[in-house]
Amino acid sequence: MLRRRLIPVLYLLNGFMARSQLFKNHQLLGHPKYHVDRLVEWDVDEVIILDISKEFETFNTNRNDYREGTATELEDFIKLISTECRIPLTIGGGIRGLTDVCRRIQNGADKVSVNTILFSNPEEVEEITKVYGSQSVVASIDYILDGENFPRVYLRSPNALKNLNLFEEIKRILDLGVGELLINAVDRDGAANGYDCETIQKIVDLSSVPVIACGGAGHRSHFVDVAQKTDASAIAAGNIFHFTENSYPNFKDYLKSHGENFR
Amino acid sequence: MISLPEIKWCKKCVYPSSSAIPLTFNEDGVCSGCQVHEEKDKIDWNQRFEWLLELVEPYRRSSGPEIVIGVSGGKDSYWQTHFAIEKLGLRPLLVTYNGNNFYDVGWKNLMRMRQVFNCEHYIFQPSIDLLIRLNRLAFRRMGDMNWHGHAGIATLPMKVAAEQNIPLVLWGEHGFTELGGMHSHNDLVEWTKRHRLDQLQRGYDWFDMTNDSEDKIDPKELWWLHYPNDELIKEVGLRGLYLDMYSRWDVRKQTALIKDRYGWEEANFAFERTYRTTSNLDDRYENGAHDYLKWIKFGYGRATDHATKDIREGLMTRTEGIEMVRKYDHVKSSDIGYWLSYVGKTEQWFDQIADTFRNLNTWSQEKPGEWRKMNIWD
Repeated sequence: MLRRRLIPVLYLLNGFMARSQLFKNHQLLGHPKYHVDRLVEWDVDEVIILDISKEFETFNTNRNDYREGTATELEDFIKLISTECRIPLTIGGGIRGLTDVCRRIQNGADKVSVNTILFSNPEEVEEITKVYGSQSVVASIDYILDGENFPRVYLRSPNALKNLNLFEEIKRILDLGVGELLINAVDRDGAANGYDCETIQKIVDLSSVPVIACGGAGHRSHFVDVAQKTDASAIAAGNIFHFTENSYPNFKDYLKSHGENFR
Repeated sequence: MISLPEIKWCKKCVYPSSSAIPLTFNEDGVCSGCQVHEEKDKIDWNQRFEWLLELVEPYRRSSGPEIVIGVSGGKDSYWQTHFAIEKLGLRPLLVTYNGNNFYDVGWKNLMRMRQVFNCEHYIFQPSIDLLIRLNRLAFRRMGDMNWHGHAGIATLPMKVAAEQNIPLVLWGEHGFTELGGMHSHNDLVEWTKRHRLDQLQRGYDWFDMTNDSEDKIDPKELWWLHYPNDELIKEVGLRGLYLDMYSRWDVRKQTALIKDRYGWEEANFAFERTYRTTSNLDDRYENGAHDYLKWIKFGYGRATDHATKDIREGLMTRTEGIEMVRKYDHVKSSDIGYWLSYVGKTEQWFDQIADTFRNLNTWSQEKPGEWRKMNIWD
C-alpha cells in the first residue's frame, strides 16, 4: 500500500497567513515565509497554499521593517515562498483559467488547486489538465451538510448555484481529468471537533484519484481517527499546525506509533 | 488638500487597521482583538486551571527547578512567578535579559524578586559596547533600536531551559492574541520558534546582524542569541506555555495583588507617551523612542494599546480612549535625546532614518518632511 501523506494547508488572506473558522472568521497569524521555512525544516510531505482573499492577488503586507520585506505581485510572492522550498507546493485561490495556472507553475508551484472554475467553467479545467497533466491539478471542493445531513457543494460566490449534490458533482469533476481531490468540510473548518469520516469514505469509494481529507483537526487523535476510519490518501489540516512547537513531526510520530503507514 | 490613505478604526476599541499587529474586522466593524476578548466570558476558567494542573503534573521533580520563567521584574513577571509557586506548586528558575535600559524603579522591582520569592535567578547582561552597536544597527535596519531586547527576551529563557534540561517554560500573555486576536483562547497556543522569529524578531535572527560595515559585530559576540535547535528541543521535550490560555488575564487584579503581597512598585513619574504608569519599567524606550517609531511606522502608539486594553476591560469608554490617543500618540518623547547620546548620533540622523520606515498605507507627505494621516477623531 502506498504511504499516506499528512499535509499542512496554509490559508492566505491579503498576504498574511490566516487562522480560519467555519470559512467565516479569520485571524491573521503572520508572514507565510517563516511558517513555510519551518515546514521545510520539518520535511513535510507537501504544502498547499490557498489564497482566500476577497480581492485576488493582494500580497502587500506593508511591512518594510521585516527581513523579507513584502511581496506585491503574485510572482514575487511565490518566489519568496518557493526559493528555499524543497517540498511539493500546491497553490490555489483565484485561478480562473490557463494563464493563471501558467503564472503559478512557471514561478515555482508544482501543482495548482482549482475550485470555483470546476463549477463555473469546467471546459477550462479540462483544458488545464490537458496542458499540464492531471498530476498538476488538484480539485478543491468544499461542502456543507444540509438539514438532512446530506453533503452539498459550498461555493463562496453569493451568485453560485446552491444545493448541488456533492457526490454527483465529484463524479462530474473526475471526468475533467483532475489528479486529486481536496475535500474540505465547511462546518468543521476550525471547529476542532474531528473529521467527517463518513462523507470522506463515501468520496474515497467513488473516486478514481487520491482523496485529501480536510476540516476538523483539533487534536492529534483526530488524525488517527480519520486514518483508521477512511482510506483517504492524505490528511490535511490548517490551524492546528500553528499551535505548538514541532507540531508536524510530533503528529507524524503519533500517527506512526498508532501503526499508521505514513511517509 | 492631499488625499490621505484610508484607515479604519475598530468600532469598539481604538485600534487602527494600520496596526503592527495584523487585524481583521467583522461585518460590524469590530476588530479581531475585541472578538477574541469577548470569548473570555464564555470560557470555563476553572476547567482551564484543572487542565493546567494536569498538564504540569509530569514535570514535577524531587530536586532542582521545575519551570523556567523569563522575568523583567514587571507586573506580569511577579504574577507569573506568584502563580507558578502558589497556584501550581512549582519551583521556578527566573531568567532575565538585561538590555541596559531599566528604569531605577524597574531594576528595584527586579532585585526584589529574590527577596520575596524563594527561587534562584539568572540575570544575563551583554557588554554595553555590543548593545550600543546592536541598538544602532537594528534602528537603521528595521527602525527599532530594541530588537536586541525582543531577541534576548525571546531566546534566553528557552536557551537556559534547554541547557538546564528543564522542559517547561511559563510565559505570561500571548500579546498578539490579547491585543489583536491572533489566536483563539481555544487554541491553547504554545511558544513556537516561528512566532519568535516572525512576530517577535521581524524575521531577523542573530546571523543577520553580523554583516554590517558600519556597526561591525563579530558572530562570536552573539552566541547568547542562538536558539536551541530542534534536536535539543525534542530531546529535552521543551515547551513554553502561555498563562493567559489557562487563567483569565486581568491586569488590574493581578497588579493589585502583587503590590499588596510583594510590594511591587509602579513608576512614580508620568510617561510622555502613555497615561499608564505600570508598564515597561524594564525598558525606557518601550514607552518612549521605540514606541515613537511605532507612531512613525504605523501611525499609533502605546496610548492606543493601553486605551484599547482598558476599553475592553470596561475601565474606560471609547470616547475617553480617543482622548488618550489624541493626547499621547504623536508625542516625540525626550528619551530620544537620551538614546542619541547613548549611541553617539544626532536627531537629524534619527529623523532621516525614521522617515524611511513610514508606512505609505498610513502616511502622506504634503510637503517634504510634513507627514499627515487620518485620525480617529476626524
